[in-house]
Amino acid sequence: MAKNKKVLIIGLDCAAPGLIFDRWLDQLPNTKSLMERGIYGELESCIPPITVPAWTCMMTSKNPGKLGFYGFRNRSDYSYSGLSFATSNLVKEDAVWDILSRLGKRVVMVGIPQTYPPKPVNGYMITCFLTPDTKSQYTYPPDFRDEVEGLVGNYILDVDEFRTEDKDQLLREIYEMTEKRFKVAKHLIKTKEWDFFMMVEMGVDRIYHGFWKYCDPLHKKYEPNNRYENSILEYHKYLDQQIGEILSLIDDQTCVLIVSDHGAQRMEGGICVNEWLMREGYLTLLEKPAGIVPFGKAKIDWTRTLAWGEGGYYSRIFLNVKGREPQGVIEKAKYQQVREELKTKLEALEDGQGKNIGTRVLKPEDVYPVTNGIPPDLIVYFGNLRWRSVGSIGLNTIHTFENDTGPDDANHAEKGIFVLYDPGNGGTRKPSPLSGLRIYDIAPTVLHRLGVNVPSDMEGKIIQ
Amino acid sequence: MNEKKGFTIWFTGLSGAGKTTVSRIVQDRLRERGIMNVEVLDGDVVRTNLSKGLGFSKEDRDTNIKRIAFVCNLLTRNGVPNIAAAISPYREVRDYARQEIKNFIEVYVKCPLDVLVQRDVKGLYKKAIAGEIANFTGVSDPYEEPLNPEVVIESEKETPEQSADKIVAKLEELGYLPRVPKQGVYSEEEEAKIKKRLEDLGYL
Repeated sequence: MAKNKKVLIIGLDCAAPGLIFDRWLDQLPNTKSLMERGIYGELESCIPPITVPAWTCMMTSKNPGKLGFYGFRNRSDYSYSGLSFATSNLVKEDAVWDILSRLGKRVVMVGIPQTYPPKPVNGYMITCFLTPDTKSQYTYPPDFRDEVEGLVGNYILDVDEFRTEDKDQLLREIYEMTEKRFKVAKHLIKTKEWDFFMMVEMGVDRIYHGFWKYCDPLHKKYEPNNRYENSILEYHKYLDQQIGEILSLIDDQTCVLIVSDHGAQRMEGGICVNEWLMREGYLTLLEKPAGIVPFGKAKIDWTRTLAWGEGGYYSRIFLNVKGREPQGVIEKAKYQQVREELKTKLEALEDGQGKNIGTRVLKPEDVYPVTNGIPPDLIVYFGNLRWRSVGSIGLNTIHTFENDTGPDDANHAEKGIFVLYDPGNGGTRKPSPLSGLRIYDIAPTVLHRLGVNVPSDMEGKIIQ
Repeated sequence: MNEKKGFTIWFTGLSGAGKTTVSRIVQDRLRERGIMNVEVLDGDVVRTNLSKGLGFSKEDRDTNIKRIAFVCNLLTRNGVPNIAAAISPYREVRDYARQEIKNFIEVYVKCPLDVLVQRDVKGLYKKAIAGEIANFTGVSDPYEEPLNPEVVIESEKETPEQSADKIVAKLEELGYLPRVPKQGVYSEEEEAKIKKRLEDLGYL
């Protein structure tokens, strides 16, 4: 295989293979053409399949246990409130751009999650949606922001007010954000010298979470012929057009990848994890809250609490262990037994109608070769991610179908997308879809394409 | 008037547990705080000069530790922060060092033996188990855990950076370092904003 001079990655956060590879492919001519002339397949995400840590897993080729963070927020100590954000400061492993920068190769990065605060690279960087706002330093070098703002005015890191009921406004914001990001991307592709270019568009994730129920006839809240029926399709067509414009700007020495960090699926509802733990006798309150409160605001009787859970698209369960947590109650010798007990009970969870929902419960040491930092005691995919985890207290139910903190349209799924097209090698046509592709394979594949040795501690393989 | 405080961070723990790794990061952290004159007495290095010729009998080990303690004491009383990173397996001689040195912070680098044997970074455990190295702490020589160390590091559960943070926090708590507000990435207001954003998006 001849080496490429350049690699360009278009990251689409959350992009689902079922929609792009199957359902709507014929309406996405540019993506389809890349797939026909290149290779593609489903890309298995990390555990958990969540934006943070997934993009960093992808670009370092290291698993969350090795990286030492397991989600957007992680325990920084064994106290009951020690969750801190996993920013770029927590990433201690080399990402592709670190390796390339050291070798003097030029990189351009736009919107890659977990790159705030920005770190020096040999090139240009615009940080991600974990940047507070554009008053923060969101570019490297710092004055590069002037060029960005000169081009698009206010650059949009993420949509505001996601929870609005004004869906038209939300759609407008998603489009405006995406339009500006691609405008900046195309400008940089044309005007900067680069060996490696990577952008990540968050709009896909946002539109899925906000509009899935309108386009999926199997969703509980789907209504036929609703006015947003085609919103996600239209957005994908718009993205495809943007991808086409980018393709028209590159030469035949550039290898192109389109990837997502995880996929998506319809959401069935929420499991109120802490309500369940209370019902099962693992969690005790000092006093019942008036109404629904976030877990952090509830008054917990730690001396009579064995476990508590975090909300989100998946759940993390933490045990209250003697000698580890400040008021730990589980004897160390009983730790494994309690975990096993919880695992069995969680896996038996049913929906409201008595049907098992297929929950998966994972132990960190079983899924990660090492567990740096403080891993959760259990990782829980309610209904194999068809149900979200609701951490709030006071709902007085195990199942909920209404919002507590987040939208209820879509949840994440483990398989994202991978498309690779190498024009210089007469395409890379191979019988596709390829199987067995993992998120860890992207960094080694990129380095290999650029003729750079792949560090031996990268966990993925080179996709050829 | 020299107000600078000297202190000794005394690492103890089995070979390969992470004493040297964490001590280097602590040294960096101190430098970031403007303390440039940190001296490190690493066990492996000391044995090639200050304690050259000493073996691994209990007597020789005690002599080695007493020499390190002697130097640490000199440095500490002259206001020079220093770090000793040697196995120092015997409690009695560690307590001797604690008595000799005024500002003494004992850091126990804890790591289960089976993990160390598996890691075996220097290849020493394999040799010790095969009987090729005599008096090897943890295998053929005892290690006496500290009873009241100022800091316990669990190197199989923490990253070296987190371990270093714990030590720096203890130095602040004991007044050897001025407290600085946590250099978090976000201000309180920014953190609340990001948290709200992620909650709205359903991530939290």
